[in-house]
Amino acid sequence: MHFIDPQAHSRRAFLRRTGQLALSGTALPFALNLAAMGEAAAFDASDYKALVCVFFYGGNDYANTVVTYDDPSYNAYSTIRGGGGGQTAGGIALAKADLAATLLQPSTPLAGGRQYALHPAMTGLSGLFNAGQAAVQLNVGPLVVPLSKAQYSSADRKTYPLPPKLFSHNDQQSIWQSSSPEGSTIGWGGNIGDLALGGNSTSLFTCINVTGNAVFLSGDNALSYQLSGTGGAVPINAVKSNVYNSSAVRTALSTLVQQSRTHTLENEYNRVTTRAIGAEAQMTSGLAGVNLATAFPTGNSLADQLKVVARVIGARSALGTKRQVFLVSIGGFDLHDNLMAQHPGLLGRVSSAMTAFYNATVELGVASKVTAFTASDFGRTLTSNGDGSDHGWGSHHLMVGGAVKGKAFYGTAPPMSVGSTAAASDQWHVGQGRLLPSTAVDQYAATLAKWFGVADSELTGILPNLSRFGAAAGRPDYPINLGFMG
Amino acid sequence: MADAYNLSETSSALLEQGQPHLVPSTATPDTRTPTAAGPTVASSAAVLAAAALLAACGGGGDSAGGNTLASANAASTPYQPLLGTPVPSRLAAQTAVALPTPDQLMDWAERTYPALFPDHQLNQLSGTIIYRFYPKSGNHVGVSGNDVLVLGPMSDNSVTKVGTLAQFADAVAANPAVITQEDAARFLLQAQFSASDADIAAVRSKGYATFLAEQMRAPASPSGLEWLDARGYAGVDNATRYYDSGYPGDYMAWHQLMTSSDAVRKRLALALSEFFVVSLSGLDFAWRSHGIAAWWDMLVANATGNYRTLLERVTLNAAMGYYLNTKGNMKENVATGRVPDENYAREVMQLFTIGLSQLNLDGTDKLDASGNKIDSYTQSDVSNMARMFTGWDIDNTQNVGTFEPVQNRTVPNTAYTRLPLRLTAANHSILPASFLGTSVAAGTDGVAALKTALDTLFNHPNVGPFFGRQMIQRLVTSNPSPAYVARVATVFNNNGSGVRGDLAAVFSAVLLDDDARRLEGLTQNGFGKLREPMLRLVQWGRTFGITSARGSWKIGELGNPATQLGQTPLRSPSVFNFFRPGYVPPSTALSASKTPAPEFQLVNESSVSGYLNYMQGVVRNGIFVNAPDMPNSTSNANNGFDITASYTAELALVLDASALVRRLNLLLCAGQLSAATQGLIVNALNATPLTATSTDNARRDRVAAAVLLVMASSEYLIQK
Repeated sequence: MHFIDPQAHSRRAFLRRTGQLALSGTALPFALNLAAMGEAAAFDASDYKALVCVFFYGGNDYANTVVTYDDPSYNAYSTIRGGGGGQTAGGIALAKADLAATLLQPSTPLAGGRQYALHPAMTGLSGLFNAGQAAVQLNVGPLVVPLSKAQYSSADRKTYPLPPKLFSHNDQQSIWQSSSPEGSTIGWGGNIGDLALGGNSTSLFTCINVTGNAVFLSGDNALSYQLSGTGGAVPINAVKSNVYNSSAVRTALSTLVQQSRTHTLENEYNRVTTRAIGAEAQMTSGLAGVNLATAFPTGNSLADQLKVVARVIGARSALGTKRQVFLVSIGGFDLHDNLMAQHPGLLGRVSSAMTAFYNATVELGVASKVTAFTASDFGRTLTSNGDGSDHGWGSHHLMVGGAVKGKAFYGTAPPMSVGSTAAASDQWHVGQGRLLPSTAVDQYAATLAKWFGVADSELTGILPNLSRFGAAAGRPDYPINLGFMG
Repeated sequence: MADAYNLSETSSALLEQGQPHLVPSTATPDTRTPTAAGPTVASSAAVLAAAALLAACGGGGDSAGGNTLASANAASTPYQPLLGTPVPSRLAAQTAVALPTPDQLMDWAERTYPALFPDHQLNQLSGTIIYRFYPKSGNHVGVSGNDVLVLGPMSDNSVTKVGTLAQFADAVAANPAVITQEDAARFLLQAQFSASDADIAAVRSKGYATFLAEQMRAPASPSGLEWLDARGYAGVDNATRYYDSGYPGDYMAWHQLMTSSDAVRKRLALALSEFFVVSLSGLDFAWRSHGIAAWWDMLVANATGNYRTLLERVTLNAAMGYYLNTKGNMKENVATGRVPDENYAREVMQLFTIGLSQLNLDGTDKLDASGNKIDSYTQSDVSNMARMFTGWDIDNTQNVGTFEPVQNRTVPNTAYTRLPLRLTAANHSILPASFLGTSVAAGTDGVAALKTALDTLFNHPNVGPFFGRQMIQRLVTSNPSPAYVARVATVFNNNGSGVRGDLAAVFSAVLLDDDARRLEGLTQNGFGKLREPMLRLVQWGRTFGITSARGSWKIGELGNPATQLGQTPLRSPSVFNFFRPGYVPPSTALSASKTPAPEFQLVNESSVSGYLNYMQGVVRNGIFVNAPDMPNSTSNANNGFDITASYTAELALVLDASALVRRLNLLLCAGQLSAATQGLIVNALNATPLTATSTDNARRDRVAAAVLLVMASSEYLIQK
């Protein structure tokens, strides 16, 4: 197989779903509620679990997020990024002294004396790391097969295929979320949701998106259900109350916006409205019963979104949900310019929002049932273009929650160099410090999915590249389970 | 044989498709008398019909039909007998009457001879011949170059040249297509923002092409910068700090869209703003509102100019310079390890010119031997081209600062926002570069290097289909046929006069294409596109006589999908626009077939609800504005509904619900509301009876209810 084939992915998924749906006698791919179909076999859904994907749109600068700290690697970092003398700030390098307060202190030190700190603005998350509730996955990114630098440079793209459209924002967002570039319609969050639909009394509440439309939460059957980051479920006033003093107008509008149509686009628009109307009252009523004491930061859209997620989790009994996948996001990471001015604010908001969210799960008694993890289009270059960095590939990411085996790093710490020599220290990047991932998104996703309750046999149907990783594929150095989940 | 076209290539291609072809059937027993001239004509009804066709073009002469066609087949003097004495006047007329296009000729033939060419048919292409086949009659009509051909029973199954386009010009002009008011409204809603009674009448009397050409030449209405300055937004005052504010830019954008007289040009510029994207939300420099206005004015000024010029103005625009980091982009520095910023180099290729994959003329992907898409460029192309965009920075040569004492800050003037970026040679990389098969030698100066980069991009074969397809998507339909894309791309490549990138010609090709105009689009499932939320609001305003009582036009950002429109002009969330051209809505009937519906990227449970809630208030009461008597963002006792629709014509019809709905159906939907939907709305309106003595409030309730119901219906939301 050359490139990832979305058709193969959806076909495989379709076959998998068809097999499971055979007993129902009909394929109902768009059914609002599949609870009656008894699909919950994959899960022992007597408890509650949720996965929360926190997506950083724009491509996060990994090198200033999880910052190398031990002197040899810090000094190399500072040289590459134009840092000042005596380990002070300069160019796009952070000062070493500013990193001391967010130094990460893993239970087992990294090999070779490597140390990392989080960005100075990320005090909340460094605290969670050091308290054992958060971990870092080093250098993870899209891969079709395990790749060495030599294999990346090989002309043999049949044996060593690359993820399509590397370095392109929209495509790499889509690949992170769904293994396929723009135009993809099935994401792994949605595929995980597919397997959980039957465990929830209202299957529509399985995959909940609190940010802009994205493919991540759409499965073969699971739909991405949208909540507003500011208002939860949005009621349609003209359906709930008389319009301009007329009940007839209200009735007519209610009919118009929900009627089925012959024209596909008309029909699909009305299907969304119909879903919105059908779910709003139940969701609003469920959320009304949740009062969170945990303080969330204000003026922070990510915190607003995560607060909605926390409230939905808080309403799990009222809503009858046992397995949920959420998507939230924060944008603005495409910092070709102004990295030093803009990045701290972004990462500060990430840290305070995710920390508040963790605290809310503690308050709700589900800290060990909820796992948040970060994702982004790509990492960026290690080199500087003057006041920012450019599009890259692999990046470091964070996992937060009571079930995360925290206070630890997973994966391999990449050396700090940007040379293009044959030396070992130059074999981890594909130019200018664009990280060649040493861990695939599929492994990262599989580890999360397995914790969530997805059976081993189902993982390859969800993650189309996974079969080329792990011991069974002869690559124990790229394990299916990265081990960061308890 | 002059007219027995050698169509072997045609016929084999068509035979493969199992379709009728243009070669006379050899299976037909030949009972005719052969002549030296080649294919012969029997004295049959078909021949008479063909003669009638010829006669209609004024060339029938005095011969019998059989003679006419036989003469037409004569190699030496193919038309002489047909033309007869009218030749001089006809030749004279040619200078005055434009040549019909193949579409116009074939449309005319269908209108004029429905028995020969029954039921409108789609164009087919074979070699150089554009033709249509009519299954009911078995006839073909086609155009090859300037020759008009027929085939079928009407020509006794011989490919017969019946004249040239020039010879039919008068006849086509004399019997133009009848444009209904619904046809006209449909065209207007694609070519501009709204349809007024006057515009509909103009399109019907002038025809689409003439109307469009006139509008493209229409005088420019006041620019965005002029409006900002006239409203005092260039003033330096710590109390208002317009230089640090984006909201005047929003007011400017909405005001331009709501009120400009040159609506076609503005509509095209808005489509361009979703291809070449700068977002006010991503600008944080002094005078960002002026920056976005200068950007907008540049798009407007070049909307019907040339793509190459536009591309250069886009590249060197100050707001773009900030948005995609060309401003201040420095050459490499080996000592510090600094390398050029790659952002513009990458996005100008991915988004503004060639896209990620190599394309055929019809916009489909080229595939390699293994069936895979072929990348248009590599990371090396990006890194090399990035050098071309180094050394550029804002032009401060006209700057005069104003000291602002409260903040103790010298504020520049607005000049730099409208001046192109300026080259500082010392900051430009003079390393050799090679990209997309082009090389720039070491030491090349920055201006020449930029020219090479932009010329290379402009001349790449991808641009026509890549740009053309997206303009079709913005203006007409989400899923244009490859043939439609190919026709538009062909015009991009050559406007007919040897000019590449003529945007007036490209947009005309988009809007006048048979696929855009023919009525089949109204019944073909999947044709059309979701109206963008911002276009719905502008259409509402322009259709119903929107005014700002105080003239301040304070319509701000409306980006919250849960409470507003989820879309504001010139405020895309990123350079990737509000939606992607390849977005396929997951979990829909479109996903299985991978059919894109870009605007659906804005559609979700929150946004469909937020839209209805927002419009419910606006349609009845207008837009609430704080301090409408003041230009700045503040609140005072005059807060109120400053921006309202007059609904003059609608209030005049209010007692007749059916007439009211008929009018809204025409103006808002180009007549695309079904009878069932119209009936549903009329019944809902009549449930609250109105009489001649009903109050103004009751009348406005009914008008608003009618407008809201139409704008809520999926038949309105999907523009076909």
